[in-house]
Amino acid sequence: MLKKLSYIILFGLTLTSCSDTLDDINKNPNATETPLAPYLLTGTLKQGADLYWGSENNFNSSLLFVQHWAKIQYTEPDRYDVSNTSFTSLWNTGYATLITDLNTIINFPDAQANSNYKGIALTLRSWTFLLLTDAYGSIPYKEAGLKVTPAYNTQKEVYTGLLEDLAKAQSLLASTNGTVTGDLVYKGDVAKWKKLVNSLRLRIALRISDKEPALAKQAAIDATSDAGGLLSSNADTFKFTYISSPQQNPASAWFETRDDFRISKTIVDKLTELSDPRLPVYAQLPSDATVGKYVGGGNGLSNSDANSQGFAKTSKPGTYFLTSTSPAVIYSYSEVLFNLAEAAARGFISGDAETLYKNAITASFNQFGITDATAISNYLNQAGVKYDASNYAKSIGTQKWIAFYGQGLDAFTEWRRLDYPVLTAGPATVLDGKIPSRFFYPGTEQSLNGVSYQAAIAAQGKDLLTTKLWFDAK
Amino acid sequence: MKKKLERYTWLCILLISIGVNAQETKPLIQSKLEGIVIDAVTKEPVIGASINIKGTTHGVQTDFDGKFYFQTGQKFPYTLLVSFLGYKKAEVVVDKNAVVIELTEEKNQLSEVVVTALGISKEKKSLGYTTQALKNKDLAETKETNFLNSLSGKLAGVRITNSQGDMGSSRIIIRGETSIAGNNQPLFVVDGVPVDNSQLGSVGGATRDFKNAIADLNPNDIETLTVLKGPNAAALYGSRAAHGVVLITTKSGKSQKGLGITLNSGITISQVATLPSFQNSYGQGSNGRFSFVDGKGGGINDGVDESWGPRMDGRLIPQFFSNGEAVPFVAHPNNVKDFFNAGVTYDNSISVARSDEKSDFRLGVNNQKQLGTVPNSEVNKTNFTINTNYQISKNIKVGVTGNYITTNAPALPGGPSGNRAAGVMLQFLWFGRQVDINQLQSNRDVNWNNSYYSNPYWNAYYNTTSQQRNRIIGDVHLDAKLAEGLNFRFRTGVDYYNDRRKYTIKYGTNGTPFGSYAEDAYTVNEQNTEGIFTYTKKLTDDFSLDALAGFNIRNHSDANNYQKAPRLAVPDLYTLTNSRDPLTSSNTLSRLRVYSAYASAQLGYKNYAYLNLTARNDWSSTLPSSNRSYFYPSVNGSLILSEALNLKSNTLDFLKIRGGWSEVGNDADPYQLSTIYNFQTAFDGNPIQTSSQKKLNENLKPETTRSTEVGLEATFWKNRLHFDVAYYNTNSFDQILEIKTTASSGYNSQLINAGKINNNGIEIQLDGSPIQTENFKWNIGANYSRNRSKVEILDYAKQIQNYTIGSSGGVDVLASVGQAYGALYGTAYLRDASGNIVVGANGLPKADPTKRVLGHYTPDYLAGVTNTLTYKNLELSFLVDASVGGEIFSGTNRTGTYTGVLANTLPGRGAENGGLNYYLNGTTKTLVNGTAPAGATVYDDGMIFNGVYENGSPNTTVLSAQEYYKASYNISEAYIYSSTFVKMREIKLSYNFTKTFARKLGLEGASITAVGRNLFFIYKDAPNIDPETAFNTGNAQGLESLALPTTRNFSLNVNLKF
Repeated sequence: MLKKLSYIILFGLTLTSCSDTLDDINKNPNATETPLAPYLLTGTLKQGADLYWGSENNFNSSLLFVQHWAKIQYTEPDRYDVSNTSFTSLWNTGYATLITDLNTIINFPDAQANSNYKGIALTLRSWTFLLLTDAYGSIPYKEAGLKVTPAYNTQKEVYTGLLEDLAKAQSLLASTNGTVTGDLVYKGDVAKWKKLVNSLRLRIALRISDKEPALAKQAAIDATSDAGGLLSSNADTFKFTYISSPQQNPASAWFETRDDFRISKTIVDKLTELSDPRLPVYAQLPSDATVGKYVGGGNGLSNSDANSQGFAKTSKPGTYFLTSTSPAVIYSYSEVLFNLAEAAARGFISGDAETLYKNAITASFNQFGITDATAISNYLNQAGVKYDASNYAKSIGTQKWIAFYGQGLDAFTEWRRLDYPVLTAGPATVLDGKIPSRFFYPGTEQSLNGVSYQAAIAAQGKDLLTTKLWFDAK
Repeated sequence: MKKKLERYTWLCILLISIGVNAQETKPLIQSKLEGIVIDAVTKEPVIGASINIKGTTHGVQTDFDGKFYFQTGQKFPYTLLVSFLGYKKAEVVVDKNAVVIELTEEKNQLSEVVVTALGISKEKKSLGYTTQALKNKDLAETKETNFLNSLSGKLAGVRITNSQGDMGSSRIIIRGETSIAGNNQPLFVVDGVPVDNSQLGSVGGATRDFKNAIADLNPNDIETLTVLKGPNAAALYGSRAAHGVVLITTKSGKSQKGLGITLNSGITISQVATLPSFQNSYGQGSNGRFSFVDGKGGGINDGVDESWGPRMDGRLIPQFFSNGEAVPFVAHPNNVKDFFNAGVTYDNSISVARSDEKSDFRLGVNNQKQLGTVPNSEVNKTNFTINTNYQISKNIKVGVTGNYITTNAPALPGGPSGNRAAGVMLQFLWFGRQVDINQLQSNRDVNWNNSYYSNPYWNAYYNTTSQQRNRIIGDVHLDAKLAEGLNFRFRTGVDYYNDRRKYTIKYGTNGTPFGSYAEDAYTVNEQNTEGIFTYTKKLTDDFSLDALAGFNIRNHSDANNYQKAPRLAVPDLYTLTNSRDPLTSSNTLSRLRVYSAYASAQLGYKNYAYLNLTARNDWSSTLPSSNRSYFYPSVNGSLILSEALNLKSNTLDFLKIRGGWSEVGNDADPYQLSTIYNFQTAFDGNPIQTSSQKKLNENLKPETTRSTEVGLEATFWKNRLHFDVAYYNTNSFDQILEIKTTASSGYNSQLINAGKINNNGIEIQLDGSPIQTENFKWNIGANYSRNRSKVEILDYAKQIQNYTIGSSGGVDVLASVGQAYGALYGTAYLRDASGNIVVGANGLPKADPTKRVLGHYTPDYLAGVTNTLTYKNLELSFLVDASVGGEIFSGTNRTGTYTGVLANTLPGRGAENGGLNYYLNGTTKTLVNGTAPAGATVYDDGMIFNGVYENGSPNTTVLSAQEYYKASYNISEAYIYSSTFVKMREIKLSYNFTKTFARKLGLEGASITAVGRNLFFIYKDAPNIDPETAFNTGNAQGLESLALPTTRNFSLNVNLKF
């Protein structure tokens, strides 16, 4: 009997113990442990565009602050009635997705990624850090990705470091350094990446121009004298073009199911005042045909006041921005020209600021499909548009604000730096009549990186929306 | 090499099992004796009783039929010493070769037998830890559709958190949360087979709370449920014992002589128990204005989903059902209550059982049909069970148990997850108080608001979550007697189920214009194979040995496959191919295997002193090979002072002290060793790869929990009073934590081995019979338990102070260093040095920029008292239970205050509610007595927030009531409440028909029971909600987010035995 019993047990055991070892069993069948440079690059570009153009950092925050768009429902963010849980995706995705994936490429052995991949990765990483510091102020930079609780660096340290990083990126990029695939924006055209690098250096030069004029001037000279050149036509514009659902433009996806945004009354009124031909591109006519004209929504209204403007009686943003294939523009040719105009006006570089200013507006018109030369010259010659050499910040600030329509984060940064146009907080806003000057740090920083966080705000000022950042001199 | 070693180990275990062979020597035969030992009352055979011949070492045990046989050198007459757990010892003089010995059951603490780890029965007095058991009637008669709920208040140290609504999960925690991040639910073992209790794919908040898997069991099939509280009792279960074990023994045919048929039929009516208290003075709108055109801003405030509109005084206003006609604007006080139905549950079962000399079996079928309180919600469940044993030879018995459970829920309440339009209570807390729910019921195509919601009946009938689950739990087992005192048990068991959910959103639903359809399928498979040798030997007259050695192989896998058509191509066709877009899909597979070997020994001295030792070693696939093997021991002992020191008196019957120490290890989840990169949907032919944002750890070690327990047990006055107290102290360390890290570290989280959490507590159980006469008996059972937890360390570098367990509505649930587990962390009011709330120039309270700990979800203590009054065959019992201390963050109060639907937003709304008169001076609200200057409108809903300006002077800024009640929406502190409650949990009246009466009806027995459950709160602090509400079975508790109301149940149950 015992013998039979043994057989039974033996049989029972063979049922359960197959030949897999414990190590085999713990091999993850759901994901790979091996990253590939082109796939990471594609992911970074897509996710970077989503981050820059999506709701949390763009149309549900910065685009409201600069009064490009307004809310007609759920007006809390338009009234700045937000908490430190509101601005977490720029931080979390910026660091843990973009910078981590880009660092993975940068740290690959040469066999896994040629130096063009690394140069592109360093460029995109610099752009990400730039977004972060522009929005929050001091941020972990030197120790980012290296420590569990990295220390914060001041804006000055970050901007300076980024200029060095971009110089390095420029040296890594060369058409002879190998081919790049997975590049959804420039399709592996290294020359265009070299132009973007210089254009970013120019952007940073102006960021620090009020605080570190000497350094800014040198950076502007470096950027404009590099053999790679700057973005030199609308074809060079750094933009991510979406396709169809589920990979459609994030604003388009939003409007498919929600109806809580309108174009802001502030920009509609400005464009109307200037008879700006971009108005029909920027806005749609209200769905109630009896209205018959473009009507913006007020910023900073209470929910009920916003609502009472009527969903059908106010203008949605233009379809140019709301189709599934609408691009996420990240660095336009017109911005390069505005930046050159300002660098010239500041005397950093040689050149005629007024001509560059006019060219910048023209490039913006072209970008939105307006090419009629008469319309353009009529526009440029009105008093309200003409370049004011005595107050370049006003001319450039106002026109840059219009040209940046839809690019909330950069519009917000340049508005803070140039202080034009003059915007007024809406009636139901909660910051004692002020408009935000920055994003809150994610609330989780207090618990997850408390010591570094406390040190940063001790130097920068309280973690409030109204605290002015270093670059924002006035 | 490693692999070879693993295999070799198993080979050795096999060889041992083959090599064992009994040695028997033939004595000189003087007499032969055949006997049987039976129960004096039931006349059932007593299996495994020991029979020794007095004055010799010669002894045998009874077989499965209670029979024994002696061939001995002794001559008749001689005296037999007969003993068995739970029976009085007997001395019987035999003088002929056949004897029937009757044993009388001994009902006291000295003889009580309990089920311990691995299903081994032991004398309770010999154990160095507490166990507590519930019988079938405690579970089955309550008619809870999730039987775990019926444990509430009945067991010391066991905390049950009820589910949302009436079709949700139930969370069980034994002796506090000992794992900071991991699963804290106990292991469930049914008839020796570990079964799965996952809550798959559950999402918190206002959406769907799927039933946890153990709720599949049918309480009618359960004979006893024993709780092994923590590692001391459960050490032999190893890895999964740290949070305790619930051992469930199902009914078998063993005790059924001949054929027995049992019919059970019950009906339960459920009604929603704790609805918020709504105001009925003001209707939909804002600033007192409302007029409906299109429900999305076309009229006056008709897109507003709040009740700050006009007074509901019958004034004429166009409404959603009136086609533009102005109709009376009046309150519908029951508009939320009337949405809910009375739930009905039909529960019918039949079982057939039989046993004879060689075999026993029990077959059961149970069908339960539950129609929920949310319209259209329905769950149907059918259980088939079989439990059968057969004696194939004198020493070998085999058996099979099987449960097939099929659940079909065409629609669960609450709609698909993440769909704002479909949340049930969400819509009623963002609501117009004037809404006539009957108008919505009669036409599902219209709604009171079209900005955010679809008609609630549209949601209930069209936007559904269905669930279909088929499950098999079963085992085959074999018991063999290898030699005198040496037995072997082998079992291989399986728990396998498929769980398919379908989520439909209809074309035209608000926010989802094209509708959507998703399928979500899970397959779970848990297999365990174990072999156990047991050996019992009386070493000398004074010393006895009870030893065990065994092994277990565990395989677990679960798989998930999810596919979604994000936008349907045509309406009302719910297939994955009916899609405008590429499907979104994902699939995962997870496997693990654990090998274990274990042993235990119990040494007894003179029936009053016992020492128990256990040891176990596990080899887990989820750990790196260098840390894969881990060993953990336990020791405990008991001393019956009443026997040892002869303390027995008329007052004291029994006194025992006990104590023990144990350690258990725990492995990780699968695939936690190397960091991965995820693929996302490719972009236009370009694959996308991205970091998982979670840094894994190739050097993981097993978690360790060490626990010390001491206790005392006593009975007085001839068992009229029984008292048991236990103290325990548990430290869990090297915990595997996915620590959230700042994203600037490169990852949003990292997996580390760190953390130490301490739990200690006291449990007291009291049972007394103050009155005990022939016909009338009053019994009181009471339990009390308190657990104190403290998070001592998170990471060993002490850089991390907080671990986030979960979040909702701006409140995080943290394990925070130095705090009790489950700290609620959120925004507080900004206060000055003397504690006054600081307001801004606008008169609105300011939030403190620094978040604070606002409370803890873990209660200070739990208590339950059951009174049972028995008069002849009539029994009345009632259970009151209490949970004292702890806090909850209430989303219902937060939202309902903001939207002005709750009754607590009435003060200050209008002069009759104490509102101040003011007029608008520009945009400033200026108080006024009488008429305002220049004939300006005078409003009567002025309020002033109680606080001070930054300069310290008292706030004088007037707010409208609407502004006032919205002011604290983002200040979590305002919506934290004590979760203390005292509940009338259960009242039960049952009548057992006498056997004589039953026989007249041709029955063997009959009983009828009426039960009321969750009847009312005797006391609670948190308004508008049931503070017992849980999100799900995870660790993020203490958050309530527009939960479905819990239910009050009344049931009637009839049980007939043929």
